[in-house]
Amino acid sequence: MKPSSPTPPMHPQLMILLELQDLRAKYRELERDEASAAVEREVFNVDPDEALTGLGEAIEKLENSLSAPVRARYDRISPNRDRVVVPVLRGVCYGCFVSIPTATAGDQEVNQVLQGCESCGSFIYVVT
Amino acid sequence: MKLRDLFTPDTVKLEIDSDSKDEILKELIELLELDDKSEAILFKTLKRRENLGSTGIGKGIAIPHCRSLVVEETRLAYGRKSNGAEFQAIDGEPVHHFFLIVAPPLEVSNQYLPILGKIAQFAKDPDIPEKLLQIDSPDAFLTLLEERGA
Repeated sequence: MKPSSPTPPMHPQLMILLELQDLRAKYRELERDEASAAVEREVFNVDPDEALTGLGEAIEKLENSLSAPVRARYDRISPNRDRVVVPVLRGVCYGCFVSIPTATAGDQEVNQVLQGCESCGSFIYVVT
Repeated sequence: MKLRDLFTPDTVKLEIDSDSKDEILKELIELLELDDKSEAILFKTLKRRENLGSTGIGKGIAIPHCRSLVVEETRLAYGRKSNGAEFQAIDGEPVHHFFLIVAPPLEVSNQYLPILGKIAQFAKDPDIPEKLLQIDSPDAFLTLLEERGA
């Protein structure tokens, strides 16, 4: 069943980061995973090189829409990590597999605040 | 891993109401019963994938797909539009059958590509598009998957 209670609000910058994360995942997959690129080429007739160009432009556009402090942190994290935003599932950060304090992870409206994991520094998205 | 095990009757819709590509994607996403914010993010991600090239693979079949943080595990949905819809498919023909695949960015079981391949293989079986048009219930869809060993 679809959640019946109103959707908890989400920080607008977190929404952008989630979009960015999804785009970066697709970019990585096309760039590094030959099997994935082959499926896109052979099943869907997509030119992986052209797709990478399009994705790169979309990523850049979204990155430019981040606020200055978020962008600064994003720029610090992104060169070294595939995932800038990591999910928190059942109280565990899936970036470093360290438990997140209940006060951080337990609130239904936790995604309204942009937070980072104290252990690995990634932005976190709490899956409620 | 069987496709049959990844669908439930709730994720099968035999009459898609929408006519436009965007609205069809939204209708498919609704089958996954996510919250509104997750639906919005997923829609944008699927749209961006469609902008790279249509996922309409011809013969009336489309396989919109993406990875997204909004799902914890690989999720599938099927929607049928009996009279077809314009989806910019590779062969330029209307699309009747929509298989939605959404996977998390990282999966332990790494099912995403094998599932994509299995759906493409299943859907390209010459008599499958016609059989899919004939089914009259979500359970019949699941039975068809079972019969084909998919």
